[in-house]
Amino acid sequence: MTVEERVLDGNAAGGLLLELFGVDLTAAPCMCGGCGAREEVARLDVYVDCPGVVIRCRHCRNVMITIVRGPERTWIDLRGTSMMEF
Amino acid sequence: MAGTAVLGRLTWLAATVAATNEETPRVHTLTLDVAGWGCHRAGQHLDVRLTAEDGYQAERSYSIASAPGDPLAITVERLEDGEVSPYLVDDVAEGDVFEVRGPIGGYFVWDGDEPEPVLLVAGGSGVVPLMAMARHRAQVGSTAPMRLLYSSRTWDDVIYRDELATLGIDVVHTLTRQQPPGWSGYTRRIDDELLREVAFSAADGPRVYVCGSTRFVDAAADGLVRLGYDPRSIRTERFGATG
Repeated sequence: MTVEERVLDGNAAGGLLLELFGVDLTAAPCMCGGCGAREEVARLDVYVDCPGVVIRCRHCRNVMITIVRGPERTWIDLRGTSMMEF
Repeated sequence: MAGTAVLGRLTWLAATVAATNEETPRVHTLTLDVAGWGCHRAGQHLDVRLTAEDGYQAERSYSIASAPGDPLAITVERLEDGEVSPYLVDDVAEGDVFEVRGPIGGYFVWDGDEPEPVLLVAGGSGVVPLMAMARHRAQVGSTAPMRLLYSSRTWDDVIYRDELATLGIDVVHTLTRQQPPGWSGYTRRIDDELLREVAFSAADGPRVYVCGSTRFVDAAADGLVRLGYDPRSIRTERFGATG
């Protein structure tokens, strides 16, 4: 499978984000820390078959969110996101 | 999108299979009884979690096929080499129990109270969340014009084939691999010319929902933008190739 065929969208991360944040974030506007583009989470590119889940800006490909789950804890890297509104 | 956020922690719930229905040989609908399940919105999905005897767990997302208020149902396509879908399509029986959580999603939803025309574009089993919208439209008596452009490989692969003709929406099929004798409809993958012939005029301000494989969704959405559609009016949901 090519990288282009592996890419999903923020809908695919909806359950995970709802579990972690307690709020449905798929319709939440989110600003890319790389290029400043503002898109709903559902419109971001999502890769779920990495080690963890990687969410990228659909415009500049910047990694906006990385989520890695362990057996008893979760790591969330939000460096690539400058703002999230919900 | 302010106000669309849904508060509440997401927990795994036990789902009992109340009924199964073969839509096509590769696609089955499962009606589920889930104690504690809230009401969903048309277009949302849920997560399914299967746990093996050795504790190994696999999770996948499936679109909800039923209209809000109707018994909860998902429609699942068997993907070869999948971890979850072969079980859900081939092995599951009434009374079986697995875990679900949801409903999930506040973006790819249609609530039925908007008057704008609605264009639905489906590739294969991408029709499932769009079916929930079409069923919801019929149920609430919405007069919003709704048109479904539905790409399938063959006539026998068309999911919900008979019911689609009864919902009071325009349905335009394209059969990309094989057509029945006497077929006069479209026979090719969705392209700009086909979209131009089928889609509402961009000037009518339609809402658009596109669901299918990543390649299908990108082709349809890009084509609609070239037709003059506002990119922000096009809601897309891509589904994965691992099931």
